[in-house]
Amino acid sequence: MEGPTKRFGNKPQIAFFDFACCEGCQLSVLQLEERLLDILELVDVVTWREAMSEYSNDYDIAFCEGSITREQDIERVREIREQAAILVTLGSCASGGCHNDLKNQWEMDEMLALVYGDQAEHFDTIPSRPITAVVEVDYKIYGCPVSLAEFVTVVKRILTGQSYEPPNQPVCVECKLNDHLCVLEKGEVCLGPVTRGGCDAICTGFGDACQGCRGLMDAANVGAMLKALTREQAHAIVRKVVERYGFTQDDIETKLRIYNNWPELNLEEIAANDD
Amino acid sequence: MPTELVMTHEAVPGFFGRLIDEGPVMGPRERARQPGFHHFDWLDSADDLVLEYQTTTIPPKKAFFPPRDVLFEFDLTDPPEFRAVRDATPFTLVGVHPCDLEGLRLLDDAYAQEPAEACWPANRARARIIGVDCTPDEYCFCTSVGSCHSRAACDLFLTPIERGRLVEVLTGAGEEMLRVSDVTEASDEDHAQAQQWRDDKEAAVTAGLDASPAEFADLLATGDFTDIWHEISSRCYSCGSCNTTCPTCFCFDINDEFDLGLTGGRRVRTWDSCQLAEFALVAGGHNFRRLRWQRVKHRWHRKFDYLYREFGTPYCTGCGRCSRACTADINIVDVSNQIIEAARQGVQG
Repeated sequence: MEGPTKRFGNKPQIAFFDFACCEGCQLSVLQLEERLLDILELVDVVTWREAMSEYSNDYDIAFCEGSITREQDIERVREIREQAAILVTLGSCASGGCHNDLKNQWEMDEMLALVYGDQAEHFDTIPSRPITAVVEVDYKIYGCPVSLAEFVTVVKRILTGQSYEPPNQPVCVECKLNDHLCVLEKGEVCLGPVTRGGCDAICTGFGDACQGCRGLMDAANVGAMLKALTREQAHAIVRKVVERYGFTQDDIETKLRIYNNWPELNLEEIAANDD
Repeated sequence: MPTELVMTHEAVPGFFGRLIDEGPVMGPRERARQPGFHHFDWLDSADDLVLEYQTTTIPPKKAFFPPRDVLFEFDLTDPPEFRAVRDATPFTLVGVHPCDLEGLRLLDDAYAQEPAEACWPANRARARIIGVDCTPDEYCFCTSVGSCHSRAACDLFLTPIERGRLVEVLTGAGEEMLRVSDVTEASDEDHAQAQQWRDDKEAAVTAGLDASPAEFADLLATGDFTDIWHEISSRCYSCGSCNTTCPTCFCFDINDEFDLGLTGGRRVRTWDSCQLAEFALVAGGHNFRRLRWQRVKHRWHRKFDYLYREFGTPYCTGCGRCSRACTADINIVDVSNQIIEAARQGVQG
């Protein structure tokens, strides 16, 4: 039997970079704590601003978190792409879309004035987009923040030369496999049925509704979610929720937009493209 | 005719307490974080056991096939080493409703098909099972599929009566579980009360299929019913909850997980769902059921057509879990009856 073959002869050099974001994904990786020591047996970390003072531009694998929101970000991420043999996007900001992209609903001038007031002229900004919209990436890790289990899985895949396809099944699958109680059954609206899983349904495990942080899964049936609001014979549970909170299509749209505004969310278009 | 005895209310906690002292016991208990909702889990004491509970989200098949099941561990030495990961500890599964007993029987048959699956029967052999009778809700339709009074797979079966539980002793293992102090003789009145309970239960089942399983299997095969599947699937999220909560679904996926040192790992199998977009995706990128409506249709044919023809019984126990769990209000009884009506009217498109 063939074992996993290591892609890199020596220990590969690893770097972490951040773009516009809360840096929570890097922080999550730090929370691997003692498991980091196992990872350090396999790799050398040469750049990680949040964790160490040393810095090197000589690296094999780049983990990049955050969104691209300025022209100079585009240049910077292209340079990283140039240097890195492997580029991994860390978290939803970089991989698919996140809060930063919410600003795309407004004019950039308006946004600059809102944030920087009379100092706006000193700053520039462009519509926010994930790193995946700017350069080709080799591995994507969704999540806000990333799941540590998935991060470790991706590291192992990289080191053994295997590809990694992010899960394309809704949160409901892992929610059920963990025997969690359905949030809808408790009378709350949950984005689990249309949201990409891979998080091990951590939020519903703690009794919270899914906020959709990993973005819509491929071929998510958003139309069904809209129908649930308008259908005469709505599920007793869904109907109860809708009545209690008076949910409308706008509410669902607002909730979905938080992590799905790149490119700009268009529910009707998504619903129309459903198979 | 099995032996029937009576376990009084006073004797019940002592009986289950002793079982828990003897070894692990899984049964319905209140969820720690969600009071008022129950699930099957290991019991710490007889106080944890809730014998009157609403149907759980996932069925007790998880006692024999955990949703995430480690099959073996391996070391990538030359030659590689494999270590089986099987727990041989005997345990007791208690508080199982008749529909779920039937579910275990159906999985016994499914996994016994050649090439037979080894883990399921090995785990089944570890366990004693105690069934309990239940109170149906609006999703239950056990009377349509013959599971309402199932005593399959269990060693003891308990039916509520005024002074406690009527105990049906169905196997030698069941007999061995009982001590003289647990039970007393059943009177005619006890028998009559248990029968009344069964009659009341049957009368309380309000949902039902408009055809027998045999007729439904034939009707399903009369046409494509594409219009109906299109309508249903326009509401379906493909979230797989109908499968992951089903007591008779038996499909699984297998993955190898490596340790961080990359020198070994484990092979893990996980419950799978034919409603997920990638279930029928094969090498080369072809997907046998790429479209949502094809997957929805497939599920009905599995439950009521293909497996009915294979095993002579629908692979549905009428527990109603899929309808309860469906976040899109797709009700297995309503859809089945829609098909039945269309087929009878000759609208097979």
